[in-house]
Amino acid sequence: MKDLKYLYDFERLLQEANNDLVRQAQAEGKYCAAYTCENVPEPLLNLPGVFSARLRAPRTGSMEMGTYYMTSFLCEYSRALLERAIEGGFNFADCVFTPDGCSMMNRCVENMELLKTMEKEHFFYSYMEIPMKADDNGLNLYVLQCKNHILTPLREHFGIDVSDAAIRKAVEEHNHLCRLIREIGEYRKEENPRITGYEYHIINLISYAAPKYLLIPMLEETLKELETRQPDPKPKFRARVVLVGSEVDDIDMVKLIEESGAYVCADRFCYGSFPGRDPIELTDDEDALTQICRQYMNRAQCPRYMNMPKMLGRRAYVNQLAMDYKADGIIYEQVKFCDPWAYERMVGTQVLRDEYGYPVLSVDRPYAVGSSGQLRTRVQAFVESMEIKKIQGGAVHG
Amino acid sequence: MAKEIGADRLGDFYTNGKVRKRREWRGLADTMYDYKCWLGIMGTLAGFVIKPRNIKAMFRYRWMANYLAVPMMVDRHTQGLRGEYLRICHTEQDLIIKDVAKLLDNLFRGDRRIGNDTEFSKKVVLVDENEMTAVMMGFPTLKGLSRETPSTYVSVLLNQTAALHYIDVAQEFGLAGDVCPMPEAEAGVSIDDDAPVLGACAIQCNTTCDGSLMGNGVISKRLELEDGIPCFQLAAPLRHREEDVQEYAAQEIRNAIAFVEEHTGEKWDWKYYFECAKRVNISTKYRQEWLDMNKTDYPQVFGSNLALYTETNYMAICGKVPEFVEADRTIARLAEQAYAKKKRMAKEYRHRAIVWGVQSHYYMDFLLWLLNCWGIVPLTDMLSMVSTKVLAEEDTPENREQAIYDMAWLTENMIMRNRTHGGYKVLLDELWEFCEEFNADMVILWEHMSCKALDGMHGQFEEKARQLGIHLVWVTHDLFDPRIVTRQGVRDQVNRYMRSVMREEPIDPTLEVIHDENSW
Repeated sequence: MKDLKYLYDFERLLQEANNDLVRQAQAEGKYCAAYTCENVPEPLLNLPGVFSARLRAPRTGSMEMGTYYMTSFLCEYSRALLERAIEGGFNFADCVFTPDGCSMMNRCVENMELLKTMEKEHFFYSYMEIPMKADDNGLNLYVLQCKNHILTPLREHFGIDVSDAAIRKAVEEHNHLCRLIREIGEYRKEENPRITGYEYHIINLISYAAPKYLLIPMLEETLKELETRQPDPKPKFRARVVLVGSEVDDIDMVKLIEESGAYVCADRFCYGSFPGRDPIELTDDEDALTQICRQYMNRAQCPRYMNMPKMLGRRAYVNQLAMDYKADGIIYEQVKFCDPWAYERMVGTQVLRDEYGYPVLSVDRPYAVGSSGQLRTRVQAFVESMEIKKIQGGAVHG
Repeated sequence: MAKEIGADRLGDFYTNGKVRKRREWRGLADTMYDYKCWLGIMGTLAGFVIKPRNIKAMFRYRWMANYLAVPMMVDRHTQGLRGEYLRICHTEQDLIIKDVAKLLDNLFRGDRRIGNDTEFSKKVVLVDENEMTAVMMGFPTLKGLSRETPSTYVSVLLNQTAALHYIDVAQEFGLAGDVCPMPEAEAGVSIDDDAPVLGACAIQCNTTCDGSLMGNGVISKRLELEDGIPCFQLAAPLRHREEDVQEYAAQEIRNAIAFVEEHTGEKWDWKYYFECAKRVNISTKYRQEWLDMNKTDYPQVFGSNLALYTETNYMAICGKVPEFVEADRTIARLAEQAYAKKKRMAKEYRHRAIVWGVQSHYYMDFLLWLLNCWGIVPLTDMLSMVSTKVLAEEDTPENREQAIYDMAWLTENMIMRNRTHGGYKVLLDELWEFCEEFNADMVILWEHMSCKALDGMHGQFEEKARQLGIHLVWVTHDLFDPRIVTRQGVRDQVNRYMRSVMREEPIDPTLEVIHDENSW
C-alpha cells in the first residue's frame, strides 16, 4: 500500500514526549496538562488555554534510576516515566494530574514530586481518587474529584475558564477527534483492510500525546486519503486478532505482531481507541461535567473496576469487539509487574477461551518490546495454531 | 535451662526437622504456666476435632493439615519469654487460637460440603481476610466469617510452606508470578475449589492493594456465578486522608449495610453497634497506652505478638467479641506490673527499632529473633500503627450519622492499607515522625518484594534514612513464599548488617544461623 502522508510525521512526533506539536501549542501560550491514567477525563484537560499530553517515555533505554527509586518489581512503564522525569524529559509540562489508579503509577508520580523533577515555577501535582465501581456513589465521587482536583487547580493556577460552556466546547473538539479516529478505524473491518493495525495504532497513540486542535487537520486529511487508498491485492495477514491489555506505548509492539502474521483489527488496551475514542454524547438537561464523568465511568474497561457487572462486562466487551471486527483470536498482554492486568489477563484468557470459544494468546511483556524474539515466536506460533484450526475445519470460535 | 531471661542458648533448640528438640525450661512457675497454657491449647484443639464434621473437614481441605502445627506456632512466639511477657504472649495468642477455632467450627457448620446447616448458613456473611469488619458491628444475630483467614493467612503463620500449593495453582491457571502471594494464594484456593461454601451473601473490599482487589474478582466469580452467593464490593477510597472522599466512603458503608439487610432479612441494630463501638474505643485506649509505654526505656507490649493481636482485634474483631476487651485489660495489667518493676523482655537491649513495611507471614516470630539474637527492640510495627480515632459511642441521632463515618474511617484505615495507600506521607513521612517519638535509632524495613506500593518508595526510604542518620536495615522477603527468600535468608540480611555496618557480635550466637528450612 502507498504510505499515508502523515504517517512518518506521526511516527516522528511519537519519538519525543515533548514533541513539535506540544512545543507549538506552548509557544501559542497554552498550558500543557500532563496526565498518567486513562481514567482522567481528557476533555477537562483540553479546556480553552490548556491541552493534554499523556506522559510517555519513548525510546526508553536504561531505567537504572527509576529502578533504584522503585525497585525492579514495579512495572517498567512507571519506572520509565520516573527515569525520564529525573532526566528532565517532562520539564515541558505545566502540571500533572494523576489518579490513584494503580499503586505503581501513583508511586511514580510521588517520586517525581519528592525528587523535585519538574522545573517550572508554577508547576503543580494534582492527585485524585477515581471510582472503583460504576454506580451513583461512584459518579458523585468522580464529579467531586474532577471539580476539586482538575477544574479548581486549573482555574486557580492558570486562570482557565472551567465553566459549563467551556467544557462543552472542549467536548466538541474531543468528539471531532474521536469521530475521525473511529471512522479511520472502521476500515479495519474490511476483509482486506486498507489500513494496518500498526498505522492505526500510531494515529491513535499520537491523539493522546499531542494537542488535539493541531492534530485534527492532519487526521481529516488522513481520513480523506484512506477513502481512496488501495489495499495490497493480496492480504499479507494470516489471522485477525484483538489486542487486549495494559497500555501499549511502544510502537514496535503492534508492528511485531503484524510482522508475525496477525492483523490487529481492534485495540482494547489502556489508551487504546476502545473505549478511549468513544465520543461523549452531551444533552442540555444536565451539566456537562456530570455527563462526562458518567460516560467515562460507564464505558471504562479498566480492570480496577471491581463490581461484578463491570468484571463480566469487560470480557463481553472483548467478545463484542472480536465479533464486530471479525477477529480469529485474542491476544491478552500485560506489561510485566502490572497487578491489575495480571489478574485480568488470567481470568480474561480463561473466559474468552472457555466461555466464548476464542483461541487466546496470553503474554506478559516489557515496556519497550523492541525486537523481542520470544514474543515474536509466541505470536508466530499462535498464528499458526489459528491457521491449523482453520485448515482442519474447526470453528473459528471454538 | 534457667529461670532468668536470656540464660538459654535458644538456637540449640532447633533441629533440622519440623519441631524443636524440646520445650524450654523457664523455672518452675513459668514452665508450669506455659505447660498449663499448652494443655489449654490442646484442649481447644480437642474440642474442635471431637466434632465429626470437623474431622471430615480435615480430610476435605488440604490447608486444614496445617492446624496440627498450632502448639508449635505458640512455642515459636514464646521463645525466651519469662514472667509477664510470657503471660502477655499467651493471653494474646491463646485467645486468637480460640477465635480461629470458633471461626473454623462455624465455617464447617454452614459449609454445604461438610455440616450443611442451611439455617445457620443463612445467618453468615462472608468477609475478606484483610477486611475491616466494621459493617458487621450492627448485626448481632449474623456471623461475619472469613474463609481466607483460616485457609491462607493463619495457615502460613502455622506452617511456612502452607500457601505454596495454592500459589502454584494460581500460576498454573495463568497468573503472573510477580503479584503479591497473599491474594495470589487466596485466588489459588478459590481456583482449586478448596474453600468452604456457605453464607447468605459476601462483602468484599478493595483491601490493601491492587492485587488484593483483583484477587477478589477471582473469588467473587466462583462465589456469585457458581455458588450462587451474592457479593457486594465495598470500595473504600484509597486517598483516605482527604476530606473530599469521606462522603463517598460513608455511602459505601450505607450501601453495604443495605445489601446485608436485603440478603439476610436482618435489621441493623444500633444498640449493638454502640456496644461494639465502646469496646473498640477501650481497645484503642489500651493500645495507645502500650505504645506510649514503648516510647520509654521500658517497653512492654511489642514485637510480633503485638502485630498479630492488633491485626486480629482491630480488624477481624472490631468490638464484636467481649473476650478481647478482657484480654486487653489483662495485658495492660501485666504490662503495668512489669513496667513498675522496670523489667525487660531480653537480657540486653542494644537498639530501639521501628519495624516498618509488610511483615513476612512465614516468619512472623522474626521480631522475637531480632530481640534475642541482636538485642534489637522492635518498639512497634507498621501494622500496629493504625487508627486511634475515638468512635462515637452514645446512641443519639447525631451519633448514628457520625457512626456511618466512623465505620467508613475504620474501613479506609484497615491495617496495612492505612500506610500503603493514601499518599506518601502516611508511609514515608510518618515513619520518621515515629522514629523521633519512639526515640528509635534503627528502622527494620520489611521489603515485601511483590508489594508494589512499598517498593515504590524504596529509594525515598533509603535517602531519608541516610539524611536523618537512622540505621535502615532492609529485610527482603516474599510474604507467603519461603522458596524465594528463606527464613535464614531473612535473618542473614540482618546478620550481615549487624556485623559489617554495626560491627557487633550477636547476644546469642546460636541464633545467628538456624536450620529451620524444614520447620513448620
